Amino acid sequence: MNVIEINGLTKHYGKARGIEDVTFSVKEGEIFGFIGPNGAGKSTTIRTLLSLIYPTGGSATILGMDMIKDAPEIKKQVGYLPSEVFYYDNMKVIDLLNYSASFYKKDCSSRIKELAERLDLDLNKKIEDLSFGNKKKVGIVQGLLHSPKLIILDEPTSGLDPLMQQTFFDLLKEENEKGVTILFSSHILSEVQKLCDRVAIIKDGKIVKVEKISTLRENNYKKFHIETKTPADQEMFNFEGIKDLEMEGNSIRFLFKGDLNPIMGRIAELDIGNVWIEEPDLEEIFMHYYEKEDQGREHV
Amino acid sequence: MNMYRHEFKNVLKSTLIWTLSIMAITIFFFSMYPTFSEEAESLKRMLEGFPDALLQALNFNITAFTSILGFYSYIFVYISLAGAIQAMVLGTGIASREIREKTADFLLTKPVTRQSIMTSKLLAAFTAIIITNAGYLSTAYLMAVIVETEGFSQGIFFMISLSLFFIQLIFLSVGVITAVLISRLKAVLPVSLGTVFAFFVINMFSKSIGDEKMGYFTPFHYFDSMYILQHETYNPSNMILAFVLVVLLIISSYVVYTKKDIHTI
Repeated sequence: MNVIEINGLTKHYGKARGIEDVTFSVKEGEIFGFIGPNGAGKSTTIRTLLSLIYPTGGSATILGMDMIKDAPEIKKQVGYLPSEVFYYDNMKVIDLLNYSASFYKKDCSSRIKELAERLDLDLNKKIEDLSFGNKKKVGIVQGLLHSPKLIILDEPTSGLDPLMQQTFFDLLKEENEKGVTILFSSHILSEVQKLCDRVAIIKDGKIVKVEKISTLRENNYKKFHIETKTPADQEMFNFEGIKDLEMEGNSIRFLFKGDLNPIMGRIAELDIGNVWIEEPDLEEIFMHYYEKEDQGREHV
Repeated sequence: MNMYRHEFKNVLKSTLIWTLSIMAITIFFFSMYPTFSEEAESLKRMLEGFPDALLQALNFNITAFTSILGFYSYIFVYISLAGAIQAMVLGTGIASREIREKTADFLLTKPVTRQSIMTSKLLAAFTAIIITNAGYLSTAYLMAVIVETEGFSQGIFFMISLSLFFIQLIFLSVGVITAVLISRLKAVLPVSLGTVFAFFVINMFSKSIGDEKMGYFTPFHYFDSMYILQHETYNPSNMILAFVLVVLLIISSYVVYTKKDIHTI
């Protein structure tokens, strides 16, 4: 079953571009990454899903319900954490969280306590006295306190130190093991890589690709770095599938895509000092997609 | 109910301060009445020397001025000005709170409709106005009874007093629609003061030149205390106008608020 189903979602701000024909779906129990640079349309998509803004065209269902018509019903099951969190400054953390809990007709007090302990959050402080990171923790607690079936995170890690980020990811993984679906938007690709099963890549308001993280990697270039004992002949690397060849003294670097056997045979002919073959990280894959898109457009 | 409580708690302190202040001005004004009535004759002579337009603008009616109700209808102009400012600040403030405090993402992702958010806010503001009017009405009545020993028409007195409530209702709805229309309203006070004073000045101007039509453009005209004093009733067409205005403004506020995009901060 698809928890989120987006069909041709479009949002224009006057003449300015928002998002254009965004279509993808998120399956139940999935951690779905939503990546793209700042201003690509991630927040616009998410804010439309939460009916904070209304689409110009297209539609979406969440948990089988219409995102606009059934918004209040949907939101009972959704936890949301924005990138920048703001709360009523004059309230104490616990009062804010209790207020937040009062919208869901269930007792959330033990969950609030448990989450606050995990995140090391002082419930008796006033919101205005909290640092940015601590406010973020309040955001995490208020996003999770009602045990939502779907968690929507819009660049959630800013302001969290690495340790707290780890705790946060652990929390998300625990929720996911309980069957909770997560939509995770980010421009930091390593965190998406760490957490997500599938990703949608968005650029200039359009979805460029929806792919499994593993497939993305498989179908991609591998990074080769070879050190030879004697300088090698550049001709040896005049080989189909090789890209971005750099030869400097005894060091050879290139990207390769295709059958690995012939290239390994060719490398075996060299007087090898050391060799590294690496998976590209998502950042490189990402750049690759962007380049391809741009080239495609230039040809047109 | 949780939102209503939350909103009401937030406006309670300022409501109490406003209520006490309006009560204090009322006590201050009424305590001047004995001196005025004692000096009635010399005051009349002095006022006769004033240009008529000025007297009209300031809501002075020389013959009525020395009676308690005449005096009241004069001072009421200033009380209603204070009340209008309170109501406008309240309306603008409560409806723009999520934008100013950047808490829209918090509140609007909760499982509630935007209509119910608006209703809770309006009810909280309405309660605040009721509190102010209860405080005001009791203080004004008590002071009038204390300073005027010869008795007065209670009907007219209450009609004038109650018009504070209606004026506040109008300015509350003006405040709410202003807040939902201005998408990035940062400061409540300048907008509110500006609007209220503009309407107040229009009213003074329309009175001094005796232009009835211009009066339709300002809520201060709808419940003119001098009219109530002279006719012993509210102006029926203005009453309807005020009612229609409030209903229209509130309905439009709901429509705009439910349909508008809430952008990232």
